[in-house]
Amino acid sequence: MESIIKRIEKELESFAPAAGAEETGIVRATGDGIAEIDGLTSAVLSEMVLFDPTFDRTLEDALKDPEPIFGLLLNLEEDGVRAAVLGDASKVYEGMLVRRLGRLLSIPVGDSLIGRVVNPLGEAVDGKGPTGATKQVPIEREAYGVIDRAPVNTPLHTGIKAIDAMIPIGRGQRELIIGDRGTGKTTIAIDTILNQKSESPETRPICIYVAIGQKESKTAKIVAELEEKGAMEYTIVVTAPASSPAAFQFLAPFAGAAIGEHFMEAGKDALVIYDDLSKQAVAYRQLSLLLRRPPGREAYPGDIFYLHSRLLERAAKLSKERGGGSLTALPIIETQEGDVSAYIPTNVISITDGQIFLLADLFNKGMRPAIDVGISVSRVGSSAQTKAMKKVSGKIKLELAQFRELEAFMQFASDLDEETKKRIDAGRRMTEVLKQPDGKPLPFELEAAIIFAATNGYFDSFAPEETSAVERKLQDFLVREAGDVLGAIREKREITEETERLYRELLEKFVERSK
Amino acid sequence: MMDTYTRVLEIAAETADEAVAETAVTKLITHLKSAGREKLLPSIAAELRKIAARRRALRPVVEVAHADDERAALLEAKEAGIDARHAVVNPSLISGWRGRTGSVLVDRSGKRALIDIYRNVTS
Repeated sequence: MESIIKRIEKELESFAPAAGAEETGIVRATGDGIAEIDGLTSAVLSEMVLFDPTFDRTLEDALKDPEPIFGLLLNLEEDGVRAAVLGDASKVYEGMLVRRLGRLLSIPVGDSLIGRVVNPLGEAVDGKGPTGATKQVPIEREAYGVIDRAPVNTPLHTGIKAIDAMIPIGRGQRELIIGDRGTGKTTIAIDTILNQKSESPETRPICIYVAIGQKESKTAKIVAELEEKGAMEYTIVVTAPASSPAAFQFLAPFAGAAIGEHFMEAGKDALVIYDDLSKQAVAYRQLSLLLRRPPGREAYPGDIFYLHSRLLERAAKLSKERGGGSLTALPIIETQEGDVSAYIPTNVISITDGQIFLLADLFNKGMRPAIDVGISVSRVGSSAQTKAMKKVSGKIKLELAQFRELEAFMQFASDLDEETKKRIDAGRRMTEVLKQPDGKPLPFELEAAIIFAATNGYFDSFAPEETSAVERKLQDFLVREAGDVLGAIREKREITEETERLYRELLEKFVERSK
Repeated sequence: MMDTYTRVLEIAAETADEAVAETAVTKLITHLKSAGREKLLPSIAAELRKIAARRRALRPVVEVAHADDERAALLEAKEAGIDARHAVVNPSLISGWRGRTGSVLVDRSGKRALIDIYRNVTS
């Protein structure tokens, strides 16, 4: 009680009433989360406004529900403005007073956000009280220019063998994860977050998972998994669930980018996952149609490409002069029946630096992750790949693509020559080696060691169908008996001649024992 | 088309000369009848009512908590750029006054001050 009285007394001492004139407007019409407002003639685009429920009520009534409702100005028109209501739109009524706040839509950022679940306005939604973040940053801002950037040169390991070997991702890159529903897109993103646990705390990126239009139960499950595996220590979750207003779902990725930029500007590495941008595009389409903007292809507004390009351009690797931080973006797009030529998928494919394409057919065949190696690509990641991974993964992609062709041919041919059979068996073995269960990302040195064994024929003495079991045994063997070799790969980031010699001896021992 | 007719009448109403406005209305009605579009008249009237209500909402208005404060409040409001002839008594303000003209609001009421304190303390 004493502390409350002191707090109020302190507030009264420092209180200065707002004596100046302020610009206000009146709600002319409202519906579907959009308010048409008269007045606010000097307001600017993307400015925040406040719908004030206390203006025409008695003090007693006003204090029963004093929470202001924020709005975002999206249309400036000849005779008024239109705003998206960022909150309970049912509380906005005709004739309601609207105040200008004189600032662009901003969110509080800071290190105290780590481990928290927030909404796109930066408000905590995990029941753990206020986040304590105080630095306000606008959620929309221009991306860094050419001069401020440096080439992508540091790897971001996902812990997924197939990706780190064939479609490597660099820090500061934008790599799209695309596929039909239920093909493992979110799993790749979550495994990538989990794998950062194996990084040293100095180089470990801060991860931001942005859930857009997801079921709350799915987000809760993801947060629980991250917490259980200790990944919330370096992760922030921004959530705009399916039940939230369209404006929240449209803003959530920008909020995630703003939070990521805070860490990037502090010289740290950050990773932001937008799960998914298809739902954001749908939310933006809804807002645009309600704002009476003209519809274009698939009823999306004309600036839908700009919406995604300005968001993804914010991913960057900064120059040394700018602190050398980075923001890596992993946007997710959901396709319908594997159609990558639809409007939003083609847009985002053209904006990003590569894509990981997941196939429903592969998924149904039991391939995890269900990556289609043929059309998955990383345009800048190879320059960020470690020497060790480059050395071991050289021809995997080509060999697997050849195997897929031969596999199709095999269905028609009854009699195959020895050379073709050998290639098919090698492809099968490699496919088995690259299989990986959900939630089990591997440290990079272990990935390199396993792929080294596969590409150097150490699995050849086993039948292709035994490969998975042998690979699991090899993992256990390496962890148990090859600590020195793994340590050397981790430390030097390459497989030196000496390490290779030692490792080959160990592999021969392993093959001998496993036969 | 209806918007255009409404806009024409709105411009006519803005002119100080009532005869001009009267002529505009008469001519518009004659034109609509000859074109067989009298059905538009109720919608035009409804639209004009909305515009009039919007204008009323933007007129200068001063509210005071107590009738005794009217004179002082009107003077203060005039200094702040709100030129109203009379003040309306609104006891919910608790003390002080508030005034609006166009989209400018000056709120020097006790209610606003108390709500601001409440928000600052509870946030």
